[in-house]
Amino acid sequence: MNERLRESMSAMLDGEANELEIQRVIKALDDNPELRETWRRYQLARDSLAGAQFAQVDISGRVRDALEAPGAIPSVSIGQRMLRPLASFAVAASVAATVVVGGQQLATLSGEDPYGADVASSGGVSPVGMINSLGAVPVRASYGTEAVAAPMLQPATRNAYEELARQRMQLYMQEHAEHAALNSPQGLIPFARVPEIHE
Amino acid sequence: MLPALCKSWLRGLLCTPVLCLPAALAVADSCSDSDLEALQWLDRMTRSVDEISYHGVVTLQRRGEDMQVMQISSRVNDESSSERLTQLTGQGVEVRRLEHPLHCVHPGHRLLLRETRGQDECGLAGQYRFRMSEGTRVAGRSSMRLEVMPRDMYRFGYILELDHHTGLLLRSETIGLDHSILEKFQFADLAYDEGRTSSADISLVHRASHPGPGETGAPHSLSGGWLVRWLPRGFVPTDDVPADAARKTYTDGLAVFSVFIEELDRAIRPGEGLERAGSTTVYTRGIDLANTPLLVTVVGEIPVNTARMIADSVQWTH
Repeated sequence: MNERLRESMSAMLDGEANELEIQRVIKALDDNPELRETWRRYQLARDSLAGAQFAQVDISGRVRDALEAPGAIPSVSIGQRMLRPLASFAVAASVAATVVVGGQQLATLSGEDPYGADVASSGGVSPVGMINSLGAVPVRASYGTEAVAAPMLQPATRNAYEELARQRMQLYMQEHAEHAALNSPQGLIPFARVPEIHE
Repeated sequence: MLPALCKSWLRGLLCTPVLCLPAALAVADSCSDSDLEALQWLDRMTRSVDEISYHGVVTLQRRGEDMQVMQISSRVNDESSSERLTQLTGQGVEVRRLEHPLHCVHPGHRLLLRETRGQDECGLAGQYRFRMSEGTRVAGRSSMRLEVMPRDMYRFGYILELDHHTGLLLRSETIGLDHSILEKFQFADLAYDEGRTSSADISLVHRASHPGPGETGAPHSLSGGWLVRWLPRGFVPTDDVPADAARKTYTDGLAVFSVFIEELDRAIRPGEGLERAGSTTVYTRGIDLANTPLLVTVVGEIPVNTARMIADSVQWTH
């Protein structure tokens, strides 16, 4: 397993993976049965830390299903399927569910969920950016002696390019907004998208 | 000073054939009566900001973020308009654009205005399908609802609600390719008058720039000229920048994206990174272009795949 994939899997377990990383992991899982086993071990390790029970479920398949047809799937059913209390794949599920249903927060707020389902009240689907509460498990030192070599033992180092993209958002959003404000119908609103406005 | 500057800039823009070309080439598949009605409303919406003074409170919701609340005011006189956006939450910045000359019409708005749409009668209908219906009540005003659905996969859709009487944009939702709402802004309160002074604690006043030659993009330029070989249909440059400018921005009238190029002093492992917020995509890619390592970043309110295809198509002009 290369370093980049390890980082992506780690990020996914921590609930911090973005779409590119999730796609990368899913493709790798698809191509490599050995890797699927590794993934399952990571999950087991994660869940034992989290105090959850382990169930033999093919997570990669579920996650892939959820991701491949985000528009077609009634996301609440994914949410419910994945969030059954016994299902130990809640972490991966929360990643997938977040990616798939995250955009519906607004829809739910406005009561106009295009999928006709109330995602926010299904309990447990965390909004984007908050899934760490599910994913962030304190790592105990003793854990390192176990046979399971999990990426989560390392600090969740992000792909360097993700970091670059994040920095570029800080760096370039304002200049982009200057032009967007003159060339789109919303007036000065594009400035409200700038993470931090400088003089 | 500002009007003179805008004039010279506008003249430059009008005379650049390359800028007029993409709009002329955009051919609408069909342009029905309902399309024409929608285009009339877009024309009215665009004119309204230069015709009416108003002030109000606006909310902005982006998925995964707290709601932002801000005050907006716009005053129009015979020659110019002055806009202010005051953030009531978050950073607390006030953005001002004062005395923007009314005759200064930027390319994004030119695509929406009937008089400046050019040869192509159908304009935006080449890129979007429209559906009009009775809107909801926004900030106490009854509205017309305009569904704007992209004809291709390269841009987002919108649901716009315009004031029935004035055409002012009261509410706008940006709709992703999976039909989820990526971003929504709407007036919570609106009054058509000169407004009043705000009592908000302002942390910083930012004067919005007015991009023209020598104003922005000039601080640093690259060692050679570059271009994007591929643009989604209907996108035109927003300003007239030199070929070696570090930033180039494009608009189709509704969506805007910017391409930034950084020359690196050493080789970079090829790769890509993505950051998203609301409807905004930031896509960064490290490439080696004719032995020059570059970081290409596309920033805009466009789908990820569009940003990737644009970054893919960057090349030196030589």
